Amino acid sequence: MSDLLLPLAIVVPILAATLPLLFGPRYDRIGWPIAAITTVSLVGIAASIARIVFVEGPPTEYGIVHELGGWQRPYGIELVADELSASLVVLVALVAAGTLVFSRVAGPRGNAFYSGYLLLTGGLMGISLTGDLFNLFVFLEIVGLTTYALVAADRSGASAYASIKYLLVGTVGASLYLVGVGYTFLATGSLNMIDLQATIATVGYGDPLIRAGYALIVVGLSLKIAVFPLHVWQPDAYQRAPDAVTTVIAALVSTSAAYALLRITYTVFTVEFLAANDGITNAMLLAAGVSILVGSVLAAMQSDLKRLFAYSSVAQFGMIVAAIALANETALLGGIIHLLGHGLLKFGLFLAVGLLAYGYGVRRVADLASLARRAPYLSGAFVVLGLALVGIPPSIGLLGKWYIALGAVEAAGGGDLAALGIAAVMLVSTLFTLAYVARIIEQLYFAGADPGPGDAGSTASAADGPTGPGTLAQPDGGRTEQRDVPTGAFVVLVVVALIAVGLGFAGFAAADLFGPFLGRMI
Amino acid sequence: MSDTPGAGSDVDDAAAGSGDASDAPDVSDRPPIEPTYSGHDDRPHLSQIQRQQTPYTESQVIMSTVKVVAPFALTFGLFVTFHGADSPGGGFQGGAIAAAVVLMIAFAFGIDATREWFTNVVVVGLAVGGVLVFGGIGLVGLVDGGTFLEYARLPIPHPVKYGMEGVEILGIAPIVAGVLVGLFFLLAAGFDDRDGAGTETEIADATTDDATTEDDR
Repeated sequence: MSDLLLPLAIVVPILAATLPLLFGPRYDRIGWPIAAITTVSLVGIAASIARIVFVEGPPTEYGIVHELGGWQRPYGIELVADELSASLVVLVALVAAGTLVFSRVAGPRGNAFYSGYLLLTGGLMGISLTGDLFNLFVFLEIVGLTTYALVAADRSGASAYASIKYLLVGTVGASLYLVGVGYTFLATGSLNMIDLQATIATVGYGDPLIRAGYALIVVGLSLKIAVFPLHVWQPDAYQRAPDAVTTVIAALVSTSAAYALLRITYTVFTVEFLAANDGITNAMLLAAGVSILVGSVLAAMQSDLKRLFAYSSVAQFGMIVAAIALANETALLGGIIHLLGHGLLKFGLFLAVGLLAYGYGVRRVADLASLARRAPYLSGAFVVLGLALVGIPPSIGLLGKWYIALGAVEAAGGGDLAALGIAAVMLVSTLFTLAYVARIIEQLYFAGADPGPGDAGSTASAADGPTGPGTLAQPDGGRTEQRDVPTGAFVVLVVVALIAVGLGFAGFAAADLFGPFLGRMI
Repeated sequence: MSDTPGAGSDVDDAAAGSGDASDAPDVSDRPPIEPTYSGHDDRPHLSQIQRQQTPYTESQVIMSTVKVVAPFALTFGLFVTFHGADSPGGGFQGGAIAAAVVLMIAFAFGIDATREWFTNVVVVGLAVGGVLVFGGIGLVGLVDGGTFLEYARLPIPHPVKYGMEGVEILGIAPIVAGVLVGLFFLLAAGFDDRDGAGTETEIADATTDDATTEDDR
């Protein structure tokens, strides 16, 4: 019975996506309530899935399995929830619900937006749960198409341009993935992930079709993940999209593509394939290393806040790809933690940037000058999340990076020079991350015009009001400024910051939770 | 009729010799381009033709042809749709052909006139209705204690056959047709239609389509 939750997690948001359009002509603002009810119920579904997988123990060795239409394994499409997919499902549900709190105030408005939003959620659930290579392509496309639409949701010229850029690049990525799946299908005659595991082994890991298929899949997904040379769509898309949209796509869209790469690498092609193809793993490590380095450098050079964190994502996803290619247990654990942790951190950071933009009109690093005076709590949460991104303990950011770096050093101990390079590059990248986060902290707390002698707080808020017509001269108190920062979204931000710190203590728990998964994979 | 430096073809530039658009006073002295240069005395050069303000003009030839062709094209679309389950074709292809009929009519008789007849309600209804039918058929199996899209549990005769047909004909084909027509109207309306709630709706429909139609491959 428990497997019924899997199709529900996908079908419920997709069916709910029709409702805002259906009732739209009659009720003007029906979109948000429908989306809220749906995402809250998704949180419930995700929690039940996680409970079954982690607490009660999954019913089969592969996790919860649901065969669509009752068709058996090699032929039918399966939905599968194991430890990894269950945790991603929880992340998707939480972020989808959390973003709604912000989008209610910040927009974009309109029933059509919420239809797209729910479809995106359904597609992300599908990526997390599907056990079929072609079905994964379908869900990647659903996520892609809805993301293109949502990026352009505020109908400005700049966002339309960013969206079409993303559309062109994303379509190439999806096509390459599909060609890769085609090669694999040609060699094996199967599309089911669990079945392919055995079939690929039979065909042989050195088979040119299998190798080419994997290479094409990696390149296609790298376009979606935005690894360095293939990242060109990503900064524009993140910067130009409406704030609420950036929050959700930065947290989930590339994350789900990275999940897909991890899933395909380990469940379909398996670690033996990586071991048998040094050329492919070394190429992946090289690309990942360059991505880590260049992403950090470019991030440190940015002046726009959203663009800065967009480039930072390029670097962080480089680490995740490196963890996948390193193929040892420690690095893979780090990759999983960083995949989830980075999603959470970017959700919080972009939410904070969105709130700062909403409340104070802040868009650039320089705009942050002395803002901590007027918005102490908001700035505090922002800085905590930024430090977590650097990897200052205790934080989820540290855990992920630590395990990846440790895995790289372990691999380097085995004589793998590329892994040594990854470890070095990660250290350099962390320094760059510290550099740009420190720049933000410096602006927030130490830069800007000194309001002069006297009562600093009230004169500051009365004097410098670069934006906001209603300058409310309140003494500083976090949530009383030009435009009130919405309390609900602020609470979500604080909770995310606390979780990001709290999970920093959960290293051993994570090792326990994902232990069975790692045992099966490696 | 202006001196249109950009519109002049490279042939004319070659004829004008070194006198490019940079020689502005020179151009104003003599007629910019010889009208007869196109090689046909009876036809004016392209640069002489004033752009039409409205792209649409009624053409008796096109309208009559479309009148004759449209029923056949629609029938072909339905044929492809209905035969999708056991021959090449299916909801995707059939829906696309059916949508092409509407596009063809719009080209022949004017887009605005077609919009009046094929209203937003129809467009949204097709897309949304298709999704709901698809999801509904899928959920019947789930409610009955089976799996998602388990046709065998549908309470109808020959459930597997008609279940699959139902998804193809009542689910996918209307979604594809509705979304294609909606996107066409949207493109035709242009980007500057700021107040268009209807157009935004169609954007969302576009995504609705891919969600469910591809769902069953």
